Amino acid sequence: MEKIEIQDILYKVEKPARYLGNELNSIHKTINESTIRYAFCFPDIYEVGMSHLGMQILYHLINNEENVFCERVFAPAIDMEEEMRKHNIPLFGLESRQPIKHFDFVGFTLQYELSYTNILNMLDLAEIPIYSKERAEDHPLVILGGPCAYNPEPIADFADIIVLGEAEEVQIELLELYKDFKKQGYKKDKFLQEAAKIQGIYIPALYEVTYKEDGIIEDFKPRVEGIPSKITKRIIKDLDKAFYPESIIVPYLNVVHDRVALEIFRGCTRGCRFCQAGMIYRPVREKSVERLSNLAENLLASTGYEEISLASLSTSDYSGLQDFVRGLIDKYSNDKVGISLPSLRLDNFSLELIKEIQKVRKTGLTFAPEAGSQRLRDVVNKGLTEEDLMNATEKAFESGWSSVKLYFMIGLPTETEEDLVGIKDLAFKVVDIYHSIPKEQRGKGLNVTVSTSTFIPKPFTPFQWEPQIKLEETSAKQSMLKDKLRRKNITYNYHDAKTSLLEAVFARGDRKLSKVLAIALEEGCKFDGWAEHFDFDKWMGVFEKAGIDPAFYASRKREYDELLPWDHIDAGVTKDFLIRENEKAQKGELTQDCRTNCSGCGINQGFIGGIC
Amino acid sequence: MYKIRSRFYKKGDMVFISHLDLVRVLERAFRRANIPMAYTQGYNPHPIMAFATALGVGISSEGEYIDIEVEKEIPLEDFMGRLNQALPEGLKIITSKYISKKAESLMSVINYSIYLVKLPFTEEVGVEELKNRLEEFTKLEEIIQVKEQKKKHRFKQPKTKEVNIRNSIVDIEIVQVEEKEAILKMTLAAGSNGNLKPEIVVEKFKEINGMPIELQEVRVQRLELLTDLNPQHLTPLDIDV
Ligand code: SF4
Repeated sequence: MEKIEIQDILYKVEKPARYLGNELNSIHKTINESTIRYAFCFPDIYEVGMSHLGMQILYHLINNEENVFCERVFAPAIDMEEEMRKHNIPLFGLESRQPIKHFDFVGFTLQYELSYTNILNMLDLAEIPIYSKERAEDHPLVILGGPCAYNPEPIADFADIIVLGEAEEVQIELLELYKDFKKQGYKKDKFLQEAAKIQGIYIPALYEVTYKEDGIIEDFKPRVEGIPSKITKRIIKDLDKAFYPESIIVPYLNVVHDRVALEIFRGCTRGCRFCQAGMIYRPVREKSVERLSNLAENLLASTGYEEISLASLSTSDYSGLQDFVRGLIDKYSNDKVGISLPSLRLDNFSLELIKEIQKVRKTGLTFAPEAGSQRLRDVVNKGLTEEDLMNATEKAFESGWSSVKLYFMIGLPTETEEDLVGIKDLAFKVVDIYHSIPKEQRGKGLNVTVSTSTFIPKPFTPFQWEPQIKLEETSAKQSMLKDKLRRKNITYNYHDAKTSLLEAVFARGDRKLSKVLAIALEEGCKFDGWAEHFDFDKWMGVFEKAGIDPAFYASRKREYDELLPWDHIDAGVTKDFLIRENEKAQKGELTQDCRTNCSGCGINQGFIGGIC
Repeated sequence: MYKIRSRFYKKGDMVFISHLDLVRVLERAFRRANIPMAYTQGYNPHPIMAFATALGVGISSEGEYIDIEVEKEIPLEDFMGRLNQALPEGLKIITSKYISKKAESLMSVINYSIYLVKLPFTEEVGVEELKNRLEEFTKLEEIIQVKEQKKKHRFKQPKTKEVNIRNSIVDIEIVQVEEKEAILKMTLAAGSNGNLKPEIVVEKFKEINGMPIELQEVRVQRLELLTDLNPQHLTPLDIDV
């Protein structure tokens, strides 16, 4: 295969370092006839994709395999895409600069719904037919995975293979199967049918969906014998034994997360009812402090990074946090290595810890009460009280912080005006607390930032049946808050409701939406997650052209007995549990943290056997 | 505390990384190479380093300079050897020496920069013609560059300023002329006397003398950064510090 010449283009485009492909710790292999070629694609620009931990893990995991060469591909920025199209350059792997249309596998990670058009655009730029049924024997196999794959139906028609759940093991099993087939004579349909028998592998073309007249799904069943009618997600049992890279690629450019990211555990025990991650990554599994210390040492040495960040859904819940962080501080503070603890719940203990970390490097202070009133916080099972918040901010101000961010959602089930007023009250109380602290003690320049986003009901959460509020309602709520939050030292930010609507449609959509995405590609929709590229009116035109009403997916209340587009997927939590949780939510009843009391979500049956 | 001054090159793929990227690449290379760097004070400590000038993206250089501070004295061969091992292809320390802590900053000792500039023409240009045009160009007393000033207010039109760049052009020499391409050597003011970019000179040459230059394909290579031209060329490593 020829290497594509891009030197001249690099002089013309912005940030050419995005396309070099030779960053520290990137992998370059000698390619021969039998090399299995894998393109790992991230459907956003380089700086976003390179900040993603999952990509770094899988890149190094796949490249650990003998005879398999995995390369990175990102969505080229608009200027680069223009140059590529002008010069007929197909999308290529960054490392080899060879067209990915000749690769064996082209995998995309689905991190957010608004990147779906980028996936299609990248396939188009790669000169690969977008529909799986249009791809021939010698086209690459298109694999999709990642959190959005828990409801892959809107993009199912474009995928050959969908990976459900944690990919570390199943990815390798799939490659092994492929190697066997290559040895014995590969036939695509035979291979896919075999692959469908692996737990965690979903081959959409092997299943058939029928709809009722009202558009609701009537039936979903396998077209062939011998494959499961319900596809079960994969989880890694022992994270200490799971693959984790000892070196990660260090970009030249300043990417969003430019540091060593160390995953300390998976899952979350809190059970917030709006949170998809909290449901699909169950159960909680921790890495040992010993394994983490080892990884930290190797990763810092191989990258030269000056900062290490602990990744998880809820950092404070890691049982060895104190030990581990103290250890890091002792070992690395002389080397000026900063430690950042995102997703930290702020309480006395964590504030002490942060204060110590601050000696080395400063981090921001954020709280996510999610809802303004205690009632609504109970509805969503966010076990944070006003007292907790006030205590924590008071301590923080006393220790010299003066800048606080508060995150809320609007449009949560059962929300009333009172709950919104509660947002204002909380923000005002935080300001008052600041002023109650003597001048000498508190930091200067108070800044309280209130951010709201529109609630998006997600599959596999207790709110998966709930409607999203309409655009007009969101705007009304936003202007009300804008009005109420007018006060010195308070800044109010809100997330664009129009993108949240689109997200809601695709989050809970079915296969009928593939038509919408195909039209959106023709109309030139891409980078929809970027405010400067997102064109809502264009999108509404696309829905109209496709004859599809977005409200059917976003703002319709669904019944418990409705067959949901993702019902053929087993994510571990049972439907019974989700219904129970939704019922409790409506009554404002709390569910305990898994560490205090198991509420029988179902993940302990079949996935981990017995206790959680 | 000890100060080390080094000359390095930046070429190949590394021409595509920006000055800020370069700073990060170096910071991380220092760490991997275990160089006992001295750090700035404060909440966000950074290894102490200073450059002569910032090189634009797309420009290669044989002669860049950097001053760094280390906490312990280490043998220079060790410093260079370890650092070069950690640096990517296209970046390399060529020479290093310890300098006085009180040495004047690189930025203030630099006065000139010498460049090789490749000019692609859209049509053939003969040697004689190029010579004559260049002579015309350098004979001008005024070559005005219109600079946009930073916007003070977002609703106001940005103000522009006119600068005569003629005095910043010290010398232009023809190195080579081939059918549709020429290579020029330019000596331009740099550092504390103001930085004149060779691209600006090329633009002006095209504009004033009607040269058929393909601006997008002009390539620039820096050969030297100098403190003095006369009586002999002196680099920041040649001067007594
Ligand atoms: S089985 Fe029980 S403890 Fe385990 S995740 Fe589910 S609810 Fe929590």
